[in-house]
Amino acid sequence: MKVEAIEYGDRKVYSVATFNRGVGDWLARLPTVWVEGEVTELRRHERWQSVFFTLKDPTDGSCLGVTILRTRFDALRLDLTEGERVHVFGRPTLFEARGDFRLRALSIERFGLGDHLAALERLKRKLSDEGLFAAERKRPLPRFPRRIGLLTGNDAAAKRDVLATVTARFPPARIVVAETLVQGPFAANAIVEALGELSTSAGVDVIVLARGGGSFEDLLPFSDERLVRAVAECAVPVVSAVGHEQDTPLCDLAADARASTPTAAARLVVPDAAELRERLERSRAGLERGARRSLDRAARAVGQAHERLRRAPALSVERKRARLEHAAGRLRALSPRSTLERGYAIVRSGHGIVRSAQTVTPGEPLSVEVGDGRFEVRVDD
Amino acid sequence: MTELSFEAAQQELEQIVERLERGDAELDDAIRLWERGEELYRICTGKLDAAQGKIEELSRRAEEARATEAT
Repeated sequence: MKVEAIEYGDRKVYSVATFNRGVGDWLARLPTVWVEGEVTELRRHERWQSVFFTLKDPTDGSCLGVTILRTRFDALRLDLTEGERVHVFGRPTLFEARGDFRLRALSIERFGLGDHLAALERLKRKLSDEGLFAAERKRPLPRFPRRIGLLTGNDAAAKRDVLATVTARFPPARIVVAETLVQGPFAANAIVEALGELSTSAGVDVIVLARGGGSFEDLLPFSDERLVRAVAECAVPVVSAVGHEQDTPLCDLAADARASTPTAAARLVVPDAAELRERLERSRAGLERGARRSLDRAARAVGQAHERLRRAPALSVERKRARLEHAAGRLRALSPRSTLERGYAIVRSGHGIVRSAQTVTPGEPLSVEVGDGRFEVRVDD
Repeated sequence: MTELSFEAAQQELEQIVERLERGDAELDDAIRLWERGEELYRICTGKLDAAQGKIEELSRRAEEARATEAT
């Protein structure tokens, strides 16, 4: 259609209708494209030929009006609800009567969780094949961290939970907090950057990445490939506490330890000081008990040995004496003394015991032994 | 004459006893053996008494040392 201007002298002026028609013609030359956004303000009436809704960009709220023939919309049987993410296939159109710029939709497809999940699953498999989630990659957390890096959004809950639990369990702990965006299209980059800074700040030897629960989309940055790689390659061990128990963002898999909540993450990074002290006390008590026991045992053994040492010589003397007395008893039983005591006597001459009267001569000196001694005699006759 | 050890004296004493018990010794010998036996008995008893005295002495000293230590 030809666009004609009215000429007032040297000024060309277009009527509104002509102007709109001209712009509309230009727009009509643009190609048909796919546009992604969230469905809002859906208006459908039986008496309207078209269905209207606004496509909203979730990252910054930019809006785009969309129109689609009611019969076409109904045929798609999408049953769309507010906030659902869709891909709209269409071309820009100007409604000349109102000067409204719209996207005239030819088709609409729901781009929901399923597609996101499939994309995530592909990424997960790829990173897993690279060995990014392998158990061998996991580093142990320091038992007593010098400084804990806490990377969190400025939403109070996750931060407060970690700080409160860490200080309650281990009062001397030192924490460096880095606040960053934790959702939206710029979150992944911001987190990667903050992670790099935290991991190189002095004394930080473990990092807690904490974010409270959120929608599937809210947690998407934590499955961003760059972020996941940054977590895996972080200079110090990373504890991931993102979302709730049932959420498993990919950064959880790449982290060195995973906690279901920020509070659980805090329990992982610091020991419980009270429990430590108690265990120490128990060990000390055990040490003392053990030492005393072995001391007692040694003392008893020495005592026994000493006792035996002390008694041994006396015992030996006793035994010898008993044996001696036994021999002496036998000796006495055999001795002739008892015979002598009954009145017999032993008579000895210079040649020995006198057994015959013929062996002595008068005047010869003899010795007579009786029970209690001996005396000298001389043969008379 | 070198001094007889306790063991040697005791051994000799027991040999004498055995010989006397066999009853084949001449009276002279028997008396001589008996006298020797009594002498050996005295030697042995003397040595045992001396040993016992020494033991008591050492034991007393040990007790004293322990008592001093305890104070």
